[in-house]
Amino acid sequence: MFHSPPAKPGLTSCRSPEKETFTCWWKPGSDGGLPTTHALYYRKESSETVYECPDYHTAGENSCFFNKNDTSIWVNYNITVVATNALGRAFSDPVEIDVVYIVKPNPPEKVTVTVMEDKGWPFLRVSWEPPHKADTRSGWITLIYELRVKLEEEIDWEMHLAGQQKMFNIFSLRSGGKYLVEVRCKPDHGFWSEWSSTSYIKVPDYFHREKSTWILITVFSTFTFLILMWLLHMNRHNLKHCILPPVPGPKIKGFDKQLLKNGKSNQIFSALVVPDFPPATSSNYEDFQVEYLEVYVRREQELVLEESKDLHNSCLKSESSTSDCDSGRGSCDSHTLLMAKCREAKEGERQTDRECSPMRTEAQRRLKDWEEEALNYAHAGIVSLEMSSGRVKTWPSVFSPLPRYSSSPLDQQSSLQMAKQLSLSTSSYLTQPGHSTKEALGQSYWDLCLSSKQPHLLNPPTPVCRELQAHSDVNISSIGHKRAPAGPRSPALHTTEYVEVQRVDNKDTLLLQPVVQGCGRMGGCFQMPHGEVYSKVKGVDSDNVLLLQREGMGEDRCPCVEQETNEVTGSCHKSCTVSTTQKPSGCIYTAVPVRDEMATMANGYVDTATMCTLHTC
Amino acid sequence: CPLIQHLHLLAQRLFSDFESSLQTEEQRQLNKIFLQDFCNSDYIISPIDKHETQRSSVLKLLSISYRLVESWEFPSRSLSGGSAPRIQISPKLSELKTGILLLIKANQDGADLFPDSSALQLAPYGNYYQSLGADESLRRTYELLACFKKDMHKVETYLTVAKCRLSPEANCTL
Repeated sequence: MFHSPPAKPGLTSCRSPEKETFTCWWKPGSDGGLPTTHALYYRKESSETVYECPDYHTAGENSCFFNKNDTSIWVNYNITVVATNALGRAFSDPVEIDVVYIVKPNPPEKVTVTVMEDKGWPFLRVSWEPPHKADTRSGWITLIYELRVKLEEEIDWEMHLAGQQKMFNIFSLRSGGKYLVEVRCKPDHGFWSEWSSTSYIKVPDYFHREKSTWILITVFSTFTFLILMWLLHMNRHNLKHCILPPVPGPKIKGFDKQLLKNGKSNQIFSALVVPDFPPATSSNYEDFQVEYLEVYVRREQELVLEESKDLHNSCLKSESSTSDCDSGRGSCDSHTLLMAKCREAKEGERQTDRECSPMRTEAQRRLKDWEEEALNYAHAGIVSLEMSSGRVKTWPSVFSPLPRYSSSPLDQQSSLQMAKQLSLSTSSYLTQPGHSTKEALGQSYWDLCLSSKQPHLLNPPTPVCRELQAHSDVNISSIGHKRAPAGPRSPALHTTEYVEVQRVDNKDTLLLQPVVQGCGRMGGCFQMPHGEVYSKVKGVDSDNVLLLQREGMGEDRCPCVEQETNEVTGSCHKSCTVSTTQKPSGCIYTAVPVRDEMATMANGYVDTATMCTLHTC
Repeated sequence: CPLIQHLHLLAQRLFSDFESSLQTEEQRQLNKIFLQDFCNSDYIISPIDKHETQRSSVLKLLSISYRLVESWEFPSRSLSGGSAPRIQISPKLSELKTGILLLIKANQDGADLFPDSSALQLAPYGNYYQSLGADESLRRTYELLACFKKDMHKVETYLTVAKCRLSPEANCTL
């Protein structure tokens, strides 16, 4: 057997549990086959005295226990272990320690865990005692604690640092769970102790309290959800319309196939006409601005409708006959009897027309615009004519309110102003009273021509009217002039007369008003009627003849009406040769055969083309 | 007496700050290798075990603490050069010293425990650290740190014991 001196032992650790005593352990090396003894020697700092371990047994085997008397704090110990056997010695490496740094206390004692309740919610209260050996009361040693908790089935611990306190609360527990709790401690400068023995605790069930609330909430929300679903189901159509609105079909009526099948063309065409346009409101026609219409039926069966100037100057419709100058044509251009009577005015008209012609063409161009503008004036009684060629359209001229016609000159003046205003507002040309100066009239006349903003209510002529227009070769021109009762007529007064359609009331009564007291047309009949001559559509007879009735002061025009009525039957070919010329007042009658489209007349649009000549009285 | 608690906490904080300011390497070496046998405060006789400490009066403990702190007031400036917290040691020491002095005066009953010898004793050791050469600066720093750490722990312990004795209800109970 091989014997050898012992191997070098080694000090494993030295520990002090309470900073008053300490223990050192060593690990012996191989003993070399011989019985080996170990001894521990130590030396205190700054002292050469070597001491041997006072107690080898208290702490177990291979240990050395230093009791209180042998323990000094803040003193460096130089410790060495020597192994000795028969063949030799072996010294371990010296270890220097300072007791204050090797303190490792015992685990806390008397760990108790209880379940307590805080407003219905349970929590754990853990309490413990410091290790009995550690003297924390005198402050010799200061310990801090730490505990850990976990559920029985879990793996990871939940750590809680408790500081120097000896009690701790744990919240957020799972109901019915079983918890494990352990505590350990550490001095302010030292090592952590071992974990205390595990304490078990079971949290009582408070499951039902929690769940009942959730059940209530779930039931309530489900109920609400069902109600909502039911409501949605009931309104699914509405929702569908809301979310996926149906594509609107074309609003254009177009042709109704059924009507086509029925075969009544009248109905078909009437269906195309937009009813209530222009709307025939019951508003006073004072609000309307009606322009004077000059209806001119050309030889070529073309109606040249021009906006007539109601002023004296306006009657300066050029007499450029059937040329395509769409300038205002006076009645002089008419091939009818009126022509002969309008010689006088022709001159003036020609002048003005020439001047105006350039504008005319422009105005002509603006027809389209006027058409659109006409819509804006749907409310006003409008008589519009659309040329078959679609070139010229008539438009009602805005004029002063009807009552004003019969008013005194002052009123007329005011009405003139008003008319002006109205015209301006509606961007239509207002016919100015005749009593204004000629220049002004001329100005207005020009304005009339130039105004591109003239509101021209254009009414799509009814097929009937159009038809009538085509047939008619009567140069119908109506000029309504409002003139001062006593205003002297200027030679420039146009001779054409214009009917001013005041309105069409809801009784389908077309109220007409002579815009121009164009007596000149009649050859000297310039006297301004005192009263306004109103032409009122009396009605439509069975023959679809528009019966006009003259109202208002002034001469009795009944004869005129009657005559016209007689005249106008069927088609408008005939001109209303109402011998009302003797009447000083402007007597304008318009008669238009109205067929089934009379309903459309309610819009206030009268196809003056179909009207017979207007007679001014 | 709340002052002593404050001082204790101050010392505690100072020590912990100091320890935390140490880098890992320094800490390891301090704990294992550089257990300095000689510290400049060795001349100050202080209790080295619990029995002695408990036998000492509060005033004695306070005075010893005071002296310990004072002994480090000057050399603590040498501890700087490294992590920044060390620079703060010196003012904290001054504060601690002042507090302890106040405590002493509050508890003093006429007995003067500040012999002038303390000041005299300081001088011969005052140059202790300054006599060493620069080449051993690193080792010297570690030695300084070790001594400082020990002394601060002493002060903290003495103050804690004194505190618990003065106001037993303050965290010193069972």
